[in-house]
Amino acid sequence: MITITINGKNIKLDEPMSVLKAAGKAGIKIPTLCHHDALETYGGCRLCVVEVERMPKLQNACTLIAADGMVITTESEVISKVRRGILELLLINHPLDCPYCDKAGECELQDLVDKYGPTVGRYTEIKRKVPASHKDEIFVRNMDRCVVCTRCVRMCNKVQGASAIDIIGRGNKSRMEPFSSASFNCEYCGNCLSVCPVGAILSRLYLHSFRPWQIDREVETVCSYCGVGCSVVVQVRDDSIKRVIPRFGLGLNNGLLCSRGRFGYEYINSEERLKEPLIRKNGKLEKSTWSEAIDFTAKKLTEIKNSHGGDAVAGIASPRCTNEDNYVFQKFMRMACGTNNIDSVSRMGFASAQKYLEDLLGQGVTSNMISGVKNADTILVVGGDPTAVNPILGLAVREAARNGAAVAVIGEAKGLEKFKTLKVVPPVFREAELLESLLSEVAEAKDPRNERPAVDQGISQLSGGSAGVDTGELKKILLDGKSISIILGSDLVQRANGHRALFAIAGLTYMLEARLTLLSDRPNEQGLIDMGCLPDTLPGGRPVTVHDFRDKFENEWNGTIPENEGLSLLEIIEGAENGNIKALYVMGENPAFNLPDSSSARKALESLDLLVVQDIFLTETAEIADVVFPSSGWAEKQGTYTNLERRIQLLNKAVGASSSMEDWKILKEVSIKMGYQMTYSSAEDVMDEIATVSPLYSDLTYREISAGHCLWPYHGKPLRGEINELPASAEAPEDYKEDLYLVIDKPLFHSGSLSRKSPALRKICPEPLLRIGPGHAQKLGLKDGDLVDVSTSKGGFDVTLSVDDCLGDGKVYLSNNFEDRGVLSLMGYRLDPVTKAPGIEGCAVKIQKKADSSAGSDKS
Amino acid sequence: MFNETVLKEIDGIRAKYPDARSALLPSLYVAQREFGWLSPEAMTCVAKTLNLPEAMVRGTASFYAMFRHNPVGRNVIQLCTNVSCMILGSDRLLDLLKSRFDLEPGETTKDGRFSLVIMECIGACGTAPAMLVNTDFHDNLTEQNLEEIMGKYK
Amino acid sequence: MEKILLKNIENPNSADIREYQKTGGYQSISNAFEMQPRDVIEEVKSSGLRGRGGAGFPTAMKWNFANADPKFPKYLVCNADEGEPGTFKDRPILEKNPHLLIEGMVISGYALRAEYGYIYLRGEYPLAKDILDNAIAQAREKNYLGENILGKNVKFELSVYQGAGAYICGEETALIESLEGKKGQPRSKPPFPVNVGAWEMPTIVNNVETLSNVPYIIAIGGEAYSKIGREDCTGPKLYCVSGHVVKPGVYELPMGTNLRDIIYKHAGGIKNNKKLKAVLPGGISTPVLPADRIDCLMDFISMPKHGSMLGSGAVIVMDESVCMVKVAHRALKFFEHESCGKCVPCREGTGWLRQILGRIESGKGKQGDIELLSDITDIMSGRTFCPLGDGAAGVVTGMLRHFRDEFEEHIKSGHCKLSIDN
Ligand SMILES: Cc1cc2nc3c(=O)[nH]c(=O)nc-3n(C[C@H](O)[C@H](O)[C@H](O)COP(=O)(O)O)c2cc1C
Ligand code: SF4
Ligand code: SF4
Ligand code: SF4
Ligand code: FES
Repeated sequence: MITITINGKNIKLDEPMSVLKAAGKAGIKIPTLCHHDALETYGGCRLCVVEVERMPKLQNACTLIAADGMVITTESEVISKVRRGILELLLINHPLDCPYCDKAGECELQDLVDKYGPTVGRYTEIKRKVPASHKDEIFVRNMDRCVVCTRCVRMCNKVQGASAIDIIGRGNKSRMEPFSSASFNCEYCGNCLSVCPVGAILSRLYLHSFRPWQIDREVETVCSYCGVGCSVVVQVRDDSIKRVIPRFGLGLNNGLLCSRGRFGYEYINSEERLKEPLIRKNGKLEKSTWSEAIDFTAKKLTEIKNSHGGDAVAGIASPRCTNEDNYVFQKFMRMACGTNNIDSVSRMGFASAQKYLEDLLGQGVTSNMISGVKNADTILVVGGDPTAVNPILGLAVREAARNGAAVAVIGEAKGLEKFKTLKVVPPVFREAELLESLLSEVAEAKDPRNERPAVDQGISQLSGGSAGVDTGELKKILLDGKSISIILGSDLVQRANGHRALFAIAGLTYMLEARLTLLSDRPNEQGLIDMGCLPDTLPGGRPVTVHDFRDKFENEWNGTIPENEGLSLLEIIEGAENGNIKALYVMGENPAFNLPDSSSARKALESLDLLVVQDIFLTETAEIADVVFPSSGWAEKQGTYTNLERRIQLLNKAVGASSSMEDWKILKEVSIKMGYQMTYSSAEDVMDEIATVSPLYSDLTYREISAGHCLWPYHGKPLRGEINELPASAEAPEDYKEDLYLVIDKPLFHSGSLSRKSPALRKICPEPLLRIGPGHAQKLGLKDGDLVDVSTSKGGFDVTLSVDDCLGDGKVYLSNNFEDRGVLSLMGYRLDPVTKAPGIEGCAVKIQKKADSSAGSDKS
Repeated sequence: MFNETVLKEIDGIRAKYPDARSALLPSLYVAQREFGWLSPEAMTCVAKTLNLPEAMVRGTASFYAMFRHNPVGRNVIQLCTNVSCMILGSDRLLDLLKSRFDLEPGETTKDGRFSLVIMECIGACGTAPAMLVNTDFHDNLTEQNLEEIMGKYK
Repeated sequence: MEKILLKNIENPNSADIREYQKTGGYQSISNAFEMQPRDVIEEVKSSGLRGRGGAGFPTAMKWNFANADPKFPKYLVCNADEGEPGTFKDRPILEKNPHLLIEGMVISGYALRAEYGYIYLRGEYPLAKDILDNAIAQAREKNYLGENILGKNVKFELSVYQGAGAYICGEETALIESLEGKKGQPRSKPPFPVNVGAWEMPTIVNNVETLSNVPYIIAIGGEAYSKIGREDCTGPKLYCVSGHVVKPGVYELPMGTNLRDIIYKHAGGIKNNKKLKAVLPGGISTPVLPADRIDCLMDFISMPKHGSMLGSGAVIVMDESVCMVKVAHRALKFFEHESCGKCVPCREGTGWLRQILGRIESGKGKQGDIELLSDITDIMSGRTFCPLGDGAAGVVTGMLRHFRDEFEEHIKSGHCKLSIDN
């Protein structure tokens, strides 16, 4: 125990720390410009001087380690004089353009000058001039205002790990450079901007559009983009979002954000938002009223249900909607429409994986804290890039790597290229075999666990074949690990034999006693599952086919739940195609774009008797719907999301004078019209019901959720979820002999079809890029920037080629974000018989240079 | 990109240190030798070879005065003007370079023959004023012998 | 005094290992290997050797700190950055007597149980680079370096790391950053390099001249060595004299030789029968001494009593023709150029001082400039991250202390009297 005295206050410290930090703990603020709690100590600004008894010179609080008995004074005439002097030096070359600078009002330099002087400027020499740089689409740099604190650089290098910027030059010629995504790997997280104490880095999104003190209100909520669930503060003026910022000390992201979270909010303010309900009349969508649209929908649904039975109706829920929306959705489908045909695009990854893994290893096996990843000594990443899909989770992996953890990557994870210890790339689509052989080797080296018969038996039955790559080093890394995290992306789930890879992951998790985390590219995939938006489970993960569970819910819900499992996502589409499904209700999803073989999907949807869509935009799906309801978007409603750790977090309404309605409310109105009563008057009412009906959420309230820490397993009772026999095994692996395959890319700057409505994200990444490895590009005689025609048996279009040094041969990567050029439209699929996820592997592709494309890229 | 020989040279440099980053300065020297100056392309090559972020390579390179961030002439005159050399007449040498060769600090002659770089002390104060031409020391400079020495560099 | 550090350098082949061996070179290695590493440190301790890099820190004390740290590997780094303007004392060792340094490093490495050594050589010494590389190759061939030196199961690997033009890299923590491939910006201390140095391992940084003393200490014993020089500042010292003297050059003299003697007895006095005006006794970072204050003993302990420092032992002698404003201006140009930019007072203060001095020199000085100069040095003094910034302020303070008239004169008359007289 160390005891020190600061400004007469006795402070006890459990561990050695700097005087600055100790003072902070005691609520004493020592002025600084270069120090930031989230960053490593620097000691450059020299403003943190303090007096220490028995030390002749003033000391710097940020670098001075508190020693027992120190007596410290943080403010005095002498200290003020020194601070005034330093501030004077900082201002000699400063343009003093506060009246014009966006930072004024929240500028740390301005505040310090206010407090300590200097009153008169004595500098009469010529000021150093660095012209402002407006070259970047997002950031404006005013290096005249830079105080060279290097906070931005330390943030970018040591926290974000992008190392996209640095101080260029030395001495008083130093300035921060450069910001440019293409060549310097800027990830546009904007975290540098957060920590800049002055107006040297500003965002174009709100340049000169408001002053910090002109904010009408600030609302804490959760980001709408991915399954991490970062806490953000939304700043509003005139009922429109001016800025979305993170806050240090708030939420699991603790002051950090990614590009989507920080700059992707503009879609809420978009002109293209749906404003009124639409009904198809004479083949065209026409404006309508709420009551007409509700009546129409209820009537048509009732007709179809009555004439074809509930099984002719299906619903697609949304991982972008809240728990409350999704709960009401499945209840509406089951009780009002009489069907278990409920699923979501989460089937294509997260939901399929989680269901299978929980069946094997128990409910909650994937519900692990992101902070655990940070503290792991060994991390296995497979099937996706956490730094792109779930950037803040990606930062945890990078942090662990910096702290010495071994990071092994199977396949591609571009964002970990500079952090990985080992990367193993199996032959195309042979990950499952690789994982299986890895599992047999690991199991051989370990004592048997004999805790879960199905898993033990599955492991003993592994063929021991190999994928043709050496797994020795991988095995060694895993066996050396004491605290192991496994991170699984959806790529391996999207395979016709995806469950094989999943079994291997389950086996590794089990044998290594690892913590498993699933990447989740939508904000509420976990919540959607837990709310029962699945064909086979009720809220809380209770199987619909088990009489006792059904019985309990039927009592609560006052009606009958169909006893059979419903259809899964792609089965619903197939049902529409073959006429078994007549009506489809889609909430906040875009199946005409987001499903493989999307042109067939679109045709199937067009053939429905009734297609109802609730959405915030006129998506590809809404365009062909019979009824479209404008729903409220994120930031316009209250509710909860459950993140990939299974943490439940509260969303708050920040704006909302729009004419839209919350999803749950639209459903409620239609339900009532169909004769099934719902009485909620707020999202909180819905949560109260959830807490009553689901043993998992007993006693959960908004108050508890908003206090944070609403962590799995809440106060609930998870299911052990054991199965005793493995589901039917797969066919023998195929040979993939084509020269080039098309695979799906999950980019950092986009998400589903939502981000394309955010101008900032479109500026950062304006068009789809077909990524190819340098070797293969050379083989095809193609160069970076070439315009190419990409085509498969399902179709083709033009895209720009991007040669990516990280990639090997045999595969090209394309995303599914941009209008008319989504990769899924080029891909067929085969269902995995066990998980029902669509296998999209093995899509042979041809790429050909467009004749007229040389102009832009090749000047020679 | 660097050719095989250079890549091997850099591999050799890397082996001397416990950490790849230590090879950065020596590799920048290699790149400067290969490209004549640290062009953006040269720095990209270094970044790729050492698997270091480009911004970091650029930032580090820009800190050091002996890395050239602009193309230079065939011969680089590095004239010391620090105190010992200054009090023994380096100013006059500067004047001469300007009047006789039209050469200003930081610039290159039109024929690309000479570039002039002002140096801080080059450790030749005992034989001041002094300069380095490329890697050769020349001491006890006077207006006369300076012209003579320059004549040797084509 | 016999020459120890500059022994044999008149021999044109002195850098060749055979010449070095002929005059007894590399014998101290075998002697040292007969001793326990701990005893080698004890020997250095009894010699009283102090670091020659500028601060005069007792070498054995530094070594003992490193020795006490349980972490391995340890690194021995030779500071051959010699950047202090006016200094050219390490250069003759590097270029003419490289094996003395190598021998010193092998012995030091043995004493410190460090198996890797690096010579951080300033980029401005290309000739020394070639000579050292060559000497290292020779030493390795003769088994003075390598895995199993002289078959005694001692390992020491040595290589040269070339700096790239940054004075601050002479500061030991900046040097370590640079050795790690980073910008040469100082680290905060503690932790000291002896505990957390290069690649986070215990690292001993010593100057070229310091390490070159080690073979002689082993040869004659610490006790005998300590008889050279003065009681608390022992051994031979290389003084490098430049400027307006008859015989500029490097002089190896006992530590604590009188400054006046260095200038007049050894360097032959002032050239062209001019009068002495001022001396920068230890490089331009040390405060100036006017002509009437040069009766002082040039060692680490005495010089501060005379208002200056021994620094690197670089004696810059200026005669009556030299304008002090011009010197101050040039010095601040240097500091501005070399400021690493890490801390505010140095980064911004050096530039401001330079601009004001430049104005005064060019006749555009203003009333109040001198007060402003001294206010700025007040803001800087003691507030900078490392001694570079402090030194810059100290130079101006020293000039104003002794030559204030000259500055005032410039401001008043708008020109330099000296340049007109000339
Ligand atoms: C700004 C600055 C520059 C320095 N330059 C040198 C240098 O060029 N050579 C050197 O040996 N020491 C230099 N030093 C001193 C080193 O920091 C360090 O004290 C020295 O290398 C230790 O070696 P020694 O104990 O043998 O003197 C410098 C110190 C500072 C603050
Ligand atoms: S936005 Fe993020 S990645 Fe880009 S420079 Fe700033 S901190 Fe680095
Ligand atoms: S841009 Fe901002 S954060 Fe970066 S160094 Fe300058 S003042 Fe500091
Ligand atoms: S005093 Fe500060 S800015 Fe100057 S060289 Fe030292 S650390 Fe760098
Ligand atoms: S001052 Fe010019 S070489 Fe030292």
